Amino acid sequence: METVERKPKSTPILHYIFGAPPVPGEDVVERYSRPVRILHWVNAVAWIVLFITGLLFFVPQFSGAAVGGWSGLFHRIAAVVMVGWAALYFVTSPRSALSAVREAFKWGRDDIGWLQAAPSYYMLGGEDTMPPQDHMNTGQKLWWLTVLGAGALMILTGALMWFFKGIIPSGAFMWSAFFHDVGFIALLTFGLVHVYLSAFHPKMRGIFWSMWGGKVSAKYAESHHKKWYDKVTKE
Amino acid sequence: MADKAILYDATKCTACRGCQVACKQWNDLPGELTTNRGTYENPPDLSANTWLKMRFTEIGDTPENLRWLFARRACMHCTDAACVEVCPTKALYHHELGFVAYKRELCTGCGYCVEACPFDVPRSGGGGAGTVHGVRTMSKCILCEDRITNGEEPACVKTCPTGALTYGDRSDLLADGQARVASLKSTYPNAYLYGEKELNGLHVLYVLDDTPEVYGLPANPQIPVAATVWQDVLQPVGWGLAGLVALGLGLNYVIARRKIKINSEEE
Ligand code: SF4
Ligand code: SF4
Repeated sequence: METVERKPKSTPILHYIFGAPPVPGEDVVERYSRPVRILHWVNAVAWIVLFITGLLFFVPQFSGAAVGGWSGLFHRIAAVVMVGWAALYFVTSPRSALSAVREAFKWGRDDIGWLQAAPSYYMLGGEDTMPPQDHMNTGQKLWWLTVLGAGALMILTGALMWFFKGIIPSGAFMWSAFFHDVGFIALLTFGLVHVYLSAFHPKMRGIFWSMWGGKVSAKYAESHHKKWYDKVTKE
Repeated sequence: MADKAILYDATKCTACRGCQVACKQWNDLPGELTTNRGTYENPPDLSANTWLKMRFTEIGDTPENLRWLFARRACMHCTDAACVEVCPTKALYHHELGFVAYKRELCTGCGYCVEACPFDVPRSGGGGAGTVHGVRTMSKCILCEDRITNGEEPACVKTCPTGALTYGDRSDLLADGQARVASLKSTYPNAYLYGEKELNGLHVLYVLDDTPEVYGLPANPQIPVAATVWQDVLQPVGWGLAGLVALGLGLNYVIARRKIKINSEEE
């Protein structure tokens, strides 16, 4: 366990929006390594670019911005950055990447418990029925599964439409567009939930900064990720 | 306003290809360099600069039963138009005169229409390609919108020397076509008026002395299923879901903030 020495540099207005980071002197634990944090934010920025340039295709009123083809170019650049960075991470840290992927598929009894307890927990703040959670809680696993599954779908269908247009039969192209849209809807809706829970939900105030500085307060870790907290503090 | 249409009578067509030339001339479309493929059919395919071409079909293998068939190949201006259905920016739309027009300045070059059209008509590459992003906008026949909205007939019809092409109100042409097919029936039992019912009515009608397949036309053209479920089912579902989630999160925020404050005060 370590403590925060420096005063965090972020401005109060951001504290107001995202909640406050751990205060100086508070006990903290490392939650996200630097490469993971960089991967996350590269992904987030690329995701926003992809989302906006993609959305232009669905709202005729916005389509003026898609005219001329620039939005399509940015869409592709962002796609390459996103996939490229993830691939880079995989190649440079294959162990942590693999164990992170495995984490999404590690389900147990406490995950069922989480699903049962979640409505009261997230609506009313009822803590009694919430079973102890590991490094990722069940909700995070669900989001992570969505990212992996829908991400693969987006890459596959996107590549088909980008590189194989005119080569694959037009039916395959149309279905690619269809499933690209399915992935878009999945990532958009679940992405909204993700952003909300990790930045704005009253119970998660301040947790946003863990993806920034990598640390969470020991108190938070213990109450939200008891199993994981016990593991890291035992070491 | 009454729907306009073109009636193409394959039995009167000599494949002089005057219409092809007139189309290029009026719409300012440059010619294309092609190579001799051993057929009068040229250029080989539609392109961003060829909106209309005649298709030549040879049927039979002995001089006695050889048939040489000609068919117009250009946008059919469908009532149920797949291209309009999939166009994300509504660049493609139905003109009040019934045909399918487009606003090039709205085209993003996505090429969905190219893939969706059951007649394989639209082509990417019109209006030049962007230098950096390489986007090529869509091109296809516009039924000479600039002419017909000024009371003129389309250039191809104007130039046709044999009367194989006529232009007018779709309802009138439908009657003409039906009469013509009826008179052909005695000699050609398979005679058929293509475009009367296909895709809820095309705005280019074909008088054929044989089945559509013989002329290389799809017997039962359809909007691709993927296009329909995508546009008419998935997109509204997506909007609905996104709205519901946003609403749910907002609601959660309001409730959770109050409850959790109360809880922590109780502590
Ligand atoms: S023939 Fe093709 S391009 Fe023309 S209106 Fe029909 S679907 Fe659209
Ligand atoms: S290529 Fe242009 S006209 Fe065709 S669907 Fe895309 S935006 Fe519409």
